[in-house]
Amino acid sequence: MENETLKLHELMISRGTFFCYSGPLSEEVLTSLSGAVKEQLSDSEDLPVVKKVFGIFVEQAQNIIRYSVDRLDQSGVGSVAISKTEKGFMIEAVNSIDSKNVDKLEEILKPLTAMNKDELKSAYKDRLRSGPPDGSRGAGLGFIEMARRSSKFDYDFLEHNANTYFIYRGWVE
Amino acid sequence: MEMAGTTRTPEVKINSSSCAITGECYPEDISEFSGPVMEALRDNLNSSDSFTVTVELYYFNSSSAKFLFDFFEYLDKTGKEKQIQVIWKYRTEDDAMEEAGSEFEEDMENVSFSLEAIN
Repeated sequence: MENETLKLHELMISRGTFFCYSGPLSEEVLTSLSGAVKEQLSDSEDLPVVKKVFGIFVEQAQNIIRYSVDRLDQSGVGSVAISKTEKGFMIEAVNSIDSKNVDKLEEILKPLTAMNKDELKSAYKDRLRSGPPDGSRGAGLGFIEMARRSSKFDYDFLEHNANTYFIYRGWVE
Repeated sequence: MEMAGTTRTPEVKINSSSCAITGECYPEDISEFSGPVMEALRDNLNSSDSFTVTVELYYFNSSSAKFLFDFFEYLDKTGKEKQIQVIWKYRTEDDAMEEAGSEFEEDMENVSFSLEAIN
């Protein structure tokens, strides 16, 4: 029997997704979601892991709120999910972006994938000192912060239905 | 100056001899939070010779890291003329906040900066 609700449920369960939000995301919604995410994490895991997962979740959510080009009033439309996988917690996010920004994001993210812990720390401190780059609505630290908190991360840009989607996944072991 | 804490902003208490920041910091707009805090800090530091700053944060996001950087940079600059002590408190098992504290400590030259584990 094909039933969409059941399919959604089975998909989430099969990939270990215990938290998922899809739709318009505002700072108010993030405030509410934060409580739920913390509650779900606090039961089973030790504090450093919880803090890393929560930190990556907040950065991803704020990226969607600030930079998704699919907008509804003050909200940015996107999805953010947290799953328990064989490789630890996976925190993933997707939102549509302006295709013109693909190169700029690539320029920020590519170097981060090759950096070790100390290099990420230096990059973080350099960015703190130099201040946010053009076009940033925060401190320009979000991607460095996520790279520092995750054991690994990857990202992708996908063209789909005339939109450009930015996908980011981070893992915490 | 006293600011009550919220889900996403820490409690802040500033008087003529001390400043205490306690809680989590990931506000919607960091400048709305940092503006009044920096102003009260400047006003109170101006009229005091020795000052103690206690920071006990459980989490801050990347936008708030910039505020903390500016906050400590200002204290370090002012520390050339006044006695300033900073106590960075972190929960014993919270290695992220311990690391954050020691990274801010690295850049401080004119204030006494200590890390203190709490339970």
